[in-house]
Amino acid sequence: MNAVRQFGNGVFSMNGREWSLLVACLLAIVIFSVASPHYATSGNAATVLRNSVELLLIGLGMTLLLAMGGIDVSIGIVMGLAAIAIGRVLGADGNPALAIIVGPLVGALLGCVTAAVVVLGRVPAIVGTLGLLGVYRTAVFVLLGGQWLSGLPSSLTNLLATTALGVPVPALVIAVAYLAVWLALRRTPYGLHLLAIGNSEEKARLSGIPVIKVRFITFVISGVLTGIAAMFYVATYRNVEMTIGSTLALDAIAAVILGGTSILGGRCSLIGTVLGVLLLRILQNGLLLIGVPSLWQPVVTGVLIIGVLGFEAVSNRFPLAQLRRARA
Amino acid sequence: MTETFLVARNIAKRFGALTALANVDLEIRSGEVLALLGDNGAGKSTFIKILAGAHPPSDGELVIEGHPVAFHSPKDAAASGIATIFQELALSENLSIAENVFLGRELKRSIFGIPFLKRKEMRQRVDGLLKELDAHISDPEAPVGSLSGGQRQAVAICRALNLNARLVIMDEPTAALAVAETRKVLALTRRLAARGCAVVLISHNISEVFEVADRIVVFRRGRKVAERLAADTNHEEVVSLITGAHPDVRALEKTN
Ligand SMILES: Nc1ncnc2c1ncn2[C@@H]1O[C@H](COP(=O)(O)OP(=O)(O)OP(=O)(O)O)[C@@H](O)[C@H]1O
Ligand SMILES: [Mg+2]
Repeated sequence: MNAVRQFGNGVFSMNGREWSLLVACLLAIVIFSVASPHYATSGNAATVLRNSVELLLIGLGMTLLLAMGGIDVSIGIVMGLAAIAIGRVLGADGNPALAIIVGPLVGALLGCVTAAVVVLGRVPAIVGTLGLLGVYRTAVFVLLGGQWLSGLPSSLTNLLATTALGVPVPALVIAVAYLAVWLALRRTPYGLHLLAIGNSEEKARLSGIPVIKVRFITFVISGVLTGIAAMFYVATYRNVEMTIGSTLALDAIAAVILGGTSILGGRCSLIGTVLGVLLLRILQNGLLLIGVPSLWQPVVTGVLIIGVLGFEAVSNRFPLAQLRRARA
Repeated sequence: MTETFLVARNIAKRFGALTALANVDLEIRSGEVLALLGDNGAGKSTFIKILAGAHPPSDGELVIEGHPVAFHSPKDAAASGIATIFQELALSENLSIAENVFLGRELKRSIFGIPFLKRKEMRQRVDGLLKELDAHISDPEAPVGSLSGGQRQAVAICRALNLNARLVIMDEPTAALAVAETRKVLALTRRLAARGCAVVLISHNISEVFEVADRIVVFRRGRKVAERLAADTNHEEVVSLITGAHPDVRALEKTN
């Protein structure tokens, strides 16, 4: 029943996994509210949502990548590079319109670079993006010259802090991005092709799917979403530091698999990703407020990843992997 | 009633020094199930791969409805109405039946330049095909991963039908199936022929072949050694043709 329903996916339709994530979010909120007097305030709620913006956008792209059987561990530093570009443009003349164009553009460009290495160069995604991670890290260091980009003009911040149609701009952008990705995934041939590739690249090819094109495009989409995330990052912090984005890829992968997307490809949940991001950010924020040092945040993320994958290995015994083995 | 769809003339295939096929002449007719039999390595798969556009022949020609054709890829063969169901079915287990049937050539409508799937039309079309094949699958939205081996064969056949295939080639479609499932796939094979499709079936199971085939062709060491109407031959004769014990085959192999 569940398996069948998964195929009729509505924009916000939820399965058991997603409901339990929602319950986990609410449960965490209740526990932290009891544990810390500073937790249940509207200011803190705003902080959690604010902290989720970049991860939500990057998580949507990561969902597509994992569903396709791909991954990008360099995505956090890609956001860093896009943020540097935005910062430079903003610092030069303070024109926010230009900054808004530069973010997605640099993201798309870096997405093309990643796709060139991984898709055209036929390097496994985990290896290729790990290599790029090293290259991009150094690029960030060189571009910043060992110094923070700081004290950027507030023009972009002011622009993105407004509301449109009564909704804060970040929420609106995320809603539009979510809807666009959902439509692409569930309502266009592209989405079917992506899921078929995630199931088996060889079978997808035999079915006449343009595998290279679909994989390439997906890395570019992920890059564009990351470029938009960079825009919100710069608008919020008005500085770019050396360590920018260093835990983002880990957070994104954790949130996405927490949401029910298969690390093996072929199956994904966008609403699951949204809930996964929120749960992760709620946990990180709550633990901070009850006095756990921020040093421990990656530990929480790591434990979540291992926990989810371990739980799935035991409870479902990887149904897709098993299917694959049986038919190999 | 049966018309010639495809003629293979003097087909040869060499892999380096190895001659996998030589001098194969064969006629494939619409509405007829043609069984290809032969020992392991006789050249059956090589022959159908030439028909499927997966291998170019080293020699000879293919003629479809009077016109010579040359295939450079499986896509060319598909464009000529030839659908091949390889033993390892190229289905995506994580997608639904309807999605699989249309995968790679979806029905779509363009809205603001973006191609959107015509999901309802595709579902209805697949529903119709499944009913027509009497495949006993009620829900075209079910994931292929939840289907049995025989049901998956039915989906692969639907895919071929949906291509408007004039010739459907099946390489050992029942090899991995249990008795009941095998029955169903054989029935589907007959139904394909009844629809006017030409069907080529490779099988090692001789009683199965007698159940569905109109004509039987036997390959041996890369050559076509016999062709019989199923009604004019029997189990023993076919076995002797395959093993080479039959006097006709002996005479043929002496002259070569
Ligand atoms: N790509 C290839 N390269 C070299 N030799 C090949 C190739 N494909 C097939 N052969 C050879 O051609 C001959 C015929 O093989 P083929 O697969 O057509 O036999 P078959 O009749 O399908 O046998 P089986 O019943 O075992 O499937 C064999 O000797 C095989 O080793
Ligand atoms: Mg064979």
